[in-house]
Amino acid sequence: MKASGQARAKETQVDLIPLCRLRAGEGGCVGEVLGTCDMVHRLREMGLYDGAPIQMIRPGSPCIIRLQGQRLGFRMDDCAHVMVRVSAVAS
Amino acid sequence: MMPPATDRSTWTFALIGNPNTGKSTLFGALCGVQQRVGNYPGVTVEKTLGELVHAGRRWILVDLPGTYSLAPRSPDEMVAVDVLLGRLADVPAPDVVLCVVAANNLERNLYLVSQVLELGRPLVIALSMVDVAQDHGLQIDTQRLSRQLGIPVVPIQAHRSLGLGDLKDALAAAGQRPGAIPESPFPPAFRDEVDRLESFLAKGDAPAAQSRLPRYLVERLLLDTGGYIEERIPSNGDQAAIRAELSAARDRLGQAGCPVPAVETMARYGWVARVVEGVVEHPVEPVNTWGDRLDAVLTHKFWGMVILAVVMLLMFSAVFAWAKLPMDGIEAAISWLSGHIEASLPDGPLRSLLVDGILGGIGAVVIFLPQIFILFLILTSLEECGYLARAAYLMDRLMVRVGLSGKSFIPLLSSFACAIPAVMATRVIENRRDRLTTILIAPLMSCSARLPVYTLMIAAFIPERQFVGGLIGLQGLVLFSMYALGIVIGAAVALLLKRTLLRGAAPPFLMEMPVYKWPSPRVVLHRMFDRGWDFLHNAGTIIFAVSIVMWGVLYYPRISPGELAPLTAARDRLGHERDDARAAGDAAREQAASTGLAGVANRIEGAQKRQSLLGRVGRLIEPAVKPLGWDWRIGSGVIASFPAREVVVATLGVIFDVGKEVDEPEGSQRLGAALQSATWPDSGRPLFNIPVALSIMVFFALCAQCVSTLAVIGRETGTWTWPAFTFGYMTVLAYVGALVTYQVGSWLGI
Repeated sequence: MKASGQARAKETQVDLIPLCRLRAGEGGCVGEVLGTCDMVHRLREMGLYDGAPIQMIRPGSPCIIRLQGQRLGFRMDDCAHVMVRVSAVAS
Repeated sequence: MMPPATDRSTWTFALIGNPNTGKSTLFGALCGVQQRVGNYPGVTVEKTLGELVHAGRRWILVDLPGTYSLAPRSPDEMVAVDVLLGRLADVPAPDVVLCVVAANNLERNLYLVSQVLELGRPLVIALSMVDVAQDHGLQIDTQRLSRQLGIPVVPIQAHRSLGLGDLKDALAAAGQRPGAIPESPFPPAFRDEVDRLESFLAKGDAPAAQSRLPRYLVERLLLDTGGYIEERIPSNGDQAAIRAELSAARDRLGQAGCPVPAVETMARYGWVARVVEGVVEHPVEPVNTWGDRLDAVLTHKFWGMVILAVVMLLMFSAVFAWAKLPMDGIEAAISWLSGHIEASLPDGPLRSLLVDGILGGIGAVVIFLPQIFILFLILTSLEECGYLARAAYLMDRLMVRVGLSGKSFIPLLSSFACAIPAVMATRVIENRRDRLTTILIAPLMSCSARLPVYTLMIAAFIPERQFVGGLIGLQGLVLFSMYALGIVIGAAVALLLKRTLLRGAAPPFLMEMPVYKWPSPRVVLHRMFDRGWDFLHNAGTIIFAVSIVMWGVLYYPRISPGELAPLTAARDRLGHERDDARAAGDAAREQAASTGLAGVANRIEGAQKRQSLLGRVGRLIEPAVKPLGWDWRIGSGVIASFPAREVVVATLGVIFDVGKEVDEPEGSQRLGAALQSATWPDSGRPLFNIPVALSIMVFFALCAQCVSTLAVIGRETGTWTWPAFTFGYMTVLAYVGALVTYQVGSWLGI
């Protein structure tokens, strides 16, 4: 049961890349969230659930990302790792 | 389910919502005056209550801390859950829950709503920040949202006091109906497991209704793998059996495709998606608002840091500049009062206790109030407008290097004014180890109370050299170095702590960058007064008590009249001379005699101090402080300042026979001059030189000379080991630092 209300349906090819590799302005949908159990749950609660639209605003460590209607400052490390599904075809 | 509130005359409302949604503004707009009624028992969460009258009933509002989710991970987070479930004895169960939802971020806000709904209380939603949503190009169909939720949704603009009437009506109406039993968003497999767990827990249980766990908590037991709730459930039953049952249940859920805890976010966000369907119209292209453009500059890697440095510089300049006038005013008031008392009471212990002990003690505390107020006025404004989150983001990179995260930056910044509110501000740091590390290094950030010592030593002993064509002065550089020393040592201590005692990786950084907004004056002023009151209440009581003890230690034992004989003889002689001169109308001779009289009075007092307990202790430890370049007089002054550093300048004034009024410019010049001419009794060498002055400043920079801070640390950490540890390590650091400074300085021949 996926909460992917806004996932785009027509992708010809989908890559799963780490969030830190997105450049400013690039976006996609949240794929896997990895890390310590507590951090993963916290990230999901904040809106990084499977299928949520995500956009990178300021890459780096920490980075600033845009989710639906909010901006989060977020540092990717051993405790918290986010994989993003990007369509290989620009849409 | 609780019956509706209709029959009672006092209704209780709980106010909950995400952080940064304007909840505090709404609370202030509804209630006017907040009351902080202390803390909830056993935790650091403050209980905030407000009252209003509506339709002949008394309404009590309980403001709960802003939270993203009702999944408690600590005793502090459990408070909100307990209040909403009515499990706290001193807070009545809320009749209606008012949930603030920000319109520009419906999805995440509704996650919390989904949890609150399950508690079964009547719920009303106040939809805030509709104007922000519109700026972002969002269109919200409030009616449809209300229909699809099944709950009244009232749009409000709290800062403009719009929508409050409708909100109160909705709250009144909700209180008349029992709460709706919500439809669970969870899949059947999960619900079955919860039923199973409920009956398992009820087995072998005293069948009294109160001891049965509410369904929400049974769910949490199953979901929260961190185990916080597991530890909290009453042990009516075998703990090990319950754990085994939980483990088995989670395994079954995992196999059924509902892994714990992921099933919660999947279920709830799925529910949210259904609820907002058709409610929100997103713009075709994301709108670039002025806030977005501002962020591009303020979070820039280079320019962002530059702007942050400028903001901090301006903030501290403002604190010191704006505080000057009120501080002078307070000084004047205290001098006037002490002069009055001195004039009206005879010489003796009572007068001395009142003037030196009590008034001196109160003065030492109250004098810092203006700085505290101004600093927190500025800090709260920055926090409310949204800038501090960006500052934490910018500083995170540096903080990670010492094992902390950007969240520790703000408390450490506050510590430059006063460590007491700073230690309390560390509550936002979730991880206990990192919170503790931040608390332990906060006192190293040079607070306002150290500034008088720095100023005195620098003015008296650091030459006024200029570099770079008058742009940088040596004195300013030394002052800056003292602050920098605290920061550098603090970083080193943090690193050490994170590698040894409080071992762990740097905490993760996940922080909302809220939408920029104009801070609400009411919220800012309230928080400013709260912090000021924290300081007064914590520091005030302790410094007051300690000042009285210090007075005693300086006053007793009294010097014998025989020892004082030569000085009293001189005083009497000068007194006669002054009276003769006055009778003869010789103004110049009268003036000379008066000055001489004042000088003798100071020396009498100095002799008394040498005889006192403090003086004797100072002489006792002299061998220990000689390697630092100090003699017994400096040693006494430093010991006297251990409870509260503020008193050191006045104590030095007394010990060096200059008198107590050394805070006005001419007084401090006299003290400076006295220090410059002080010598070692045996060799006649000057007591003070640059290495000595530096070693004193370094000692003050690194030493924990503030009983109030230690007491607050004890309260916030719940044990006395950490204040003791802080005191111990900082004293050792200070001693070694002062030692090294003096020895190296002398060896270098500065």
